[in-house]
Amino acid sequence: MRLLPCGPRAVLAEFDSLDEVMASASAWRTAAWPSVVDIVPAARTVLVVHDGSLDSSLLQASPLSTATVEADPVEILVAYDGPDLESVADAVGCSTAEVIALHSAPTYRVAFCGFMPGFAYMVGAPAELHLPRLSTPRVRVPAGSVAVAGGYSGIYPRESPGGWHLLGRADCELWDERRHVPALLPPGAAVRFVPA
Amino acid sequence: MSADVIQVIAWGVGGCVVDEGRTGMGWLGVPRGGALDRGALQLANRLVGNRDGSAGLETSGGMSLRMVRAAVVAVTGAVAVIDVDGGPPVGWGTPVALPAGAVVRIRRLDGGCRAYVGVRGGLAALGDDRLGVGSEPSDPVAVSAAVPAQPPSSVRLWRGPRLDSVDAGAWERLVSTPFSVSATSRVGCRLAGAVLAHRDGAVLESEGMVEGAVQVPPDGSPIVMLADHPTTGGYPVVAVVDPADLWVVVQSSVGSVLRFSDGERRGRR
Repeated sequence: MRLLPCGPRAVLAEFDSLDEVMASASAWRTAAWPSVVDIVPAARTVLVVHDGSLDSSLLQASPLSTATVEADPVEILVAYDGPDLESVADAVGCSTAEVIALHSAPTYRVAFCGFMPGFAYMVGAPAELHLPRLSTPRVRVPAGSVAVAGGYSGIYPRESPGGWHLLGRADCELWDERRHVPALLPPGAAVRFVPA
Repeated sequence: MSADVIQVIAWGVGGCVVDEGRTGMGWLGVPRGGALDRGALQLANRLVGNRDGSAGLETSGGMSLRMVRAAVVAVTGAVAVIDVDGGPPVGWGTPVALPAGAVVRIRRLDGGCRAYVGVRGGLAALGDDRLGVGSEPSDPVAVSAAVPAQPPSSVRLWRGPRLDSVDAGAWERLVSTPFSVSATSRVGCRLAGAVLAHRDGAVLESEGMVEGAVQVPPDGSPIVMLADHPTTGGYPVVAVVDPADLWVVVQSSVGSVLRFSDGERRGRR
């Protein structure tokens, strides 16, 4: 881990792997240091925002928890009828039924959120489904679209432009301000996709 | 709470209802939001006796408000040209009691880029251009007026996490040459001036950004992230504006000149 400067109230921790990012972000969130305001994981980094009084040696010293939190996975019902199901099957070299089986087999983990409130970047997809983004992104992706790209799986919380391969649709409230944690799928959450 | 008290006749440029936003939500993809110049909203609230964090109005000019009922208001932030029909004049930083029927027009802004309107009781958006006002706060209205703060001669910068992604002289140019504001929005403030050249080869994955982060896209013109910034970004962050000086960037309109200094050298501007 390398600690990079980020002004008087933040530090950016850089890691070699996403696994280390997820372990550290989870351990630091659990530590709940009173001076820490926000912990923002991304692909290779964790941004720690604080009130100006964080002793960054705490970050150096904290043991990395390698044990994954065994929370019950959030189950997402998916109608696998997305417009890219056929093209993904062609790219993988299998049937659409096999794409559905591949995508719904593993338990995923939310690595980080970004792009828009409640958009979760989930890891755990089988290697066959690690596809590059579309060469031309769509102007409109419907809310609830279940998609894969770049090794991640995601669900679009709202209609937006997007460049991921659309496999299906989920009917779930990904963002609800009345919840204590408004995101259904915050970093660290375990997720399973269940064919509807 | 929230009796229908104010009708928005015109929102003008960038007009919106703002509170101080919320921190600690970046991990879910949500930036602070809220007033770009948080200190100015806080002052407006304190002048009318509200608690910190009450909602008010933000505008870059052209906002017109009709008082459906009597209300006490204060305007802070940018120095604005304000007309009032059917009520006493409204000046900068002074709480004023307006009668029912008064129309306040915040025309153009002279010094600064964002003005704030605090209303005694705090605001709630009721939809259809109607604003409600909350219950009477227990604190009294301020008896004295405030005076606008003079911006410092320079904005203090701290070194950012990806300073090594731009050329070796970039930091020196950043803190020694003037920049002008080429665009400003709730998301960020784009600067024109010395070019901060990307080094070859460095491709970043998106990573978390703080408010005040100075991001450099490949064209070499820095962008300062403001309250509605994306929580992660893929361009290198080469510097961070000192939080105490960020209001100066927020209040800089297109064409105004900003000078930066090394904030890590104590006491130096």
